[in-house]
Amino acid sequence: MEYLVQMHNMTMKFAGVVALDKVSFDLRPGEVHVLLGENGAGKSTLVKILSGINHPTEGEMFIGGTHFTHLTPAMSKDNKIAIIYQELSVIDELSIAENLHVGKLPTKRILGIPHVDYAKMNEHAKELMDKVGIRRSPGTLVQELSISEKQMVEIAKALAADARILIMDEPTSSLSVEETDNLFDIIRQLKADGIGIIYISHKLKEIKRIGDRVTVLKDGKYMGTRDVSDIEVEDLVPMMVGRQVQERFLRPTPPEAEPEVLFSVRNLTRRDRKARNISFDVYKGEILGLGGLIGAGRSEAMEGIFGVSPISEGEVYLHGRKLEITNPYSALKQGIAFVTENRRETGFFQNFEIWKNISVTTNLKKSRFGGFTGLTDEKQEREQATHYSEKLRTKCWGIDQMTVNLSGGNQQKVIVGKWLAVNSDVFIFDEPTKGIDVGAKSEIYQIMRDMVDEGKAVVMVSSDMTELLGVCDRIIVFSNGQITKTFMNEEATEEKILYAAVSAY
Amino acid sequence: MVNTAAKKKSRMSFGSYWERFGTLSILLLILIGFSIASPNYFLSVNNIKQIGMQSTIYTVLAFGEFFAILLAGIDLSVGSVAAFCGAVCAKLLLVNCPVWAAVLIGLLVGVALGAINGTLINLLQLHPFVVTLGTNTIFRGIVLVMCNGKPIFGLPLGFKSIALYVGGFPIPFLIVLVIAAILIWFTKYTIAARNMYALGGNKQAAWYSGINTKRFTLLAHILSSTLAGIAGIIMTARVGAAEPTAGDGYETYAIAACIIGGTSFFGGKGKPFGVLLGGILIGTIFNGLSILNVSSFYQKIALGALIIFALALEKVVGNISAKTQRD
Repeated sequence: MEYLVQMHNMTMKFAGVVALDKVSFDLRPGEVHVLLGENGAGKSTLVKILSGINHPTEGEMFIGGTHFTHLTPAMSKDNKIAIIYQELSVIDELSIAENLHVGKLPTKRILGIPHVDYAKMNEHAKELMDKVGIRRSPGTLVQELSISEKQMVEIAKALAADARILIMDEPTSSLSVEETDNLFDIIRQLKADGIGIIYISHKLKEIKRIGDRVTVLKDGKYMGTRDVSDIEVEDLVPMMVGRQVQERFLRPTPPEAEPEVLFSVRNLTRRDRKARNISFDVYKGEILGLGGLIGAGRSEAMEGIFGVSPISEGEVYLHGRKLEITNPYSALKQGIAFVTENRRETGFFQNFEIWKNISVTTNLKKSRFGGFTGLTDEKQEREQATHYSEKLRTKCWGIDQMTVNLSGGNQQKVIVGKWLAVNSDVFIFDEPTKGIDVGAKSEIYQIMRDMVDEGKAVVMVSSDMTELLGVCDRIIVFSNGQITKTFMNEEATEEKILYAAVSAY
Repeated sequence: MVNTAAKKKSRMSFGSYWERFGTLSILLLILIGFSIASPNYFLSVNNIKQIGMQSTIYTVLAFGEFFAILLAGIDLSVGSVAAFCGAVCAKLLLVNCPVWAAVLIGLLVGVALGAINGTLINLLQLHPFVVTLGTNTIFRGIVLVMCNGKPIFGLPLGFKSIALYVGGFPIPFLIVLVIAAILIWFTKYTIAARNMYALGGNKQAAWYSGINTKRFTLLAHILSSTLAGIAGIIMTARVGAAEPTAGDGYETYAIAACIIGGTSFFGGKGKPFGVLLGGILIGTIFNGLSILNVSSFYQKIALGALIIFALALEKVVGNISAKTQRD
C-alpha cells in the first residue's frame, strides 16, 4: 500500500528529557488517522517534526516516498503538509480572499506596473470557499466570521496550497454541536479527494465518528495503532492513562425528599439581553449542570450573576439571604467563585507564580475599598499555595513555578485553588475541562464532588454531553438566552438535551 | 519531582541573574568606561555628588512613570506635569505663601493632574498613550499661559535650599532614596501594589478576579503625576526659577530609565530598584559626557544610542541565556 507519511522510530530529546521515544506513525491517502494521548504525551512534538519545527534526534521518515531525517518549515510546505493549529492563524484585518492568497496575490499589469488582480483573486477564493462550504462573499473581512468559519478559511488555505497531508490540532475544541457536524462533513469530502488527515483530539467520542485509525501515545512512548472499526473507544482509555478512568461522577446516594436550597437566582436578565429571565436553584448535595449550544446565554448568565456584566434585573440568594452584587469584587466578598472558560484570558496571571495567583483572591478578601488597603503576607500566602497545590495535586516543580508554564489541567487547578482559598460557598465552573486531558478531567470532577460533599453549591456550564450526563445530578438546558428545560440525571439523554437546546431558536 | 526542581533551578540561574543584575552590570560598565576616559575627575567625591544631583529629576520622574508602565500603559505628560507643579509652587511663593504650603499645594496639583489623566482614560476607554499625548500639550499650554511665557524668578532662599547639600550630601538625592525606599516597601508588601502587578499582567483576569481595574488605573496615574510634581518642585528649587519649558521632553528620559531598569512594556513586570538604577544611569551618562566636553547636542545623540545599546545588550544576553537554558 502507498503511504503519504511513514515515520520510523522517531526519537526527540530536549535538554536530555526524552519527549518522544521510538515512535512510529504512518498515514495513508484518504484516511483520518487520530493521534490520541494526554497533554504531554508527545502528540505536538510528533506533529512539529512534520511541520519542520522539531528536528528529531533519531529516526527516519518517508514523505511521499522520499527519505528525510528532518524537515524545515519550507520543506514541510513543499511536501504538501499543512497544519491547522488550535489558535487559528488567519489575519482578522484581511478579507477571506486575501487570507487565502497571503504571499501569492495574483497580479495584472496596468501601464506596466503590477497591480493586485482582485477579480481573479476573488474568483479563485470563491472556488475554494465552495469546497469547504463558506457561504460568504470573498471580500468579507475575516474578523466578521465565527470561529468555525475561520477554521474553514484555514482549511481552504491548506487546499489553496494543494496540501495532501492535513494536520488538525483539536479542531472541535471551540465548536458547537452543529459546527462540529459541519466540520466532519468537510473532512469526509477531503478524504474522498485523497487527502490524508492527522487528527489530534482528546474527545474519545469523535474517534468513532470520524477516525479510520487511531494511534495512542503516552509519555512520549508509542502505545499502539488500532483500526477504529475493530475497537470500542473505551478500550483506548487504559492505553492513554495506564489506569481505568472512572467515567461517572454522580452522587452515590439518591437526593433527599426536600433538599436544602443553597443558592438561588431569580429573574435575572442581562442589560444586553443575552440572557433573559433566568431563574434556578442549586440544592445541597448536587452538581447542577447547565447545558445548551455555544452562545445560548449560559456563560452570559453566569457573568451577570458574578457582576462581570451589568444586569437590568434579577436577584441572587445565598442560604436564603439576598446578595448585593454590583461587581466581581462584591461577588467575591459574598462567597461566589467563578472559574471562567478561558483560563489564559480571564483565569490567571501570566506574570505570576503559582503562589501569587492563588493569593490574589485572599488578598482582595482581606483588603477593603476594592483591594486598596492591607499588607501581603508572603509566608502565609506560600503556605496556603502549598496547601492547595497538594490538596488538588497540582503537578509542578514548586509553588514558585510560573503558572503559564503548567499544563491546562494544572492551570485550572491553580484557578480552582485561588477560589478554594477564600472559602467560597458557590462555585461556578464554565467549561472547566476544556482542553484538559482525560486524567486531569477526572481529577477536576472529583474536586467538584468533594466541594458538594463539603456543602458548597456547585454549578457547571458544559457543552460536552458526556460530561453533563456523567457528572451533573441535574441538568438545566439553555436555549437562545432562556431556560427551556430541566432534567434529573436519570431521565436525561443526549437527544432530550439537544432537543431542548434548539427549542427556542 | 524534587530532582527536576533542582535541574530547573540551576538552568534558570543565568537568566534570573541577568534579570536581577543586568541593569547594575550596564551601569558598572558605563562607570568603568567614563573612569578610564576621565581618570582624574569622574570618580572624585565632588563629581559623584554631582551625579547624584543630576540623576534626581530623571529618577523621580521615572518612579512615577513606572506605575503607568506597570499597568501596561504609559504617561507622556510627566514633563508638563513637573513644569505645571513647579510653576504653581513658584507663583505661590511670589505672593509670600510659606514654603511648606507652596510645596504642599504644588503636590496637590500633581494629584489633580493625575486624576484628570486617570479619569479620562477610564471614562473614554482610550489608551493612556493617546490621553497623555493630549494632556501633555494641554498642561504645557496652561503653564505657558500661567507664566506668560517667561520664567518666574526671585524665589525665597528657604525654598531654593531644597536643592542644597546637607552634611555634604545632596538633599534632592536624599529625597530620591527616601522615595525609593517607600516604593520598594510599597511594591513588595502591599496588597494594592500586588493588585497593580496583577492588573498589568492581565487586565481581564484582574477584573474577573475582583480587582477594581478602573480605580487602580486612576491610582497609577495619580502616583505618576504626584511624583512628577515632586520632580518639578525640586527642579524649580535647583534652577531657582520656574521655567515654562522646564522638563520638556523629559518623558523620554523617564520612560528610558524604566525600560533600562527592567520594567516590561507589556506590563506587570519591573521593580522600583531597577528604575532607580535606570535613572542613575541616565544621570551618569549626561554627567560623564559633560566632563568629556561633549556638546549638549552630541549628548542627546549619545544618550539615544546608549539607550538602544543598553536594551540591545539586555536582549542579546537574554537570548544567550535562553539558549543556554535550552541546551
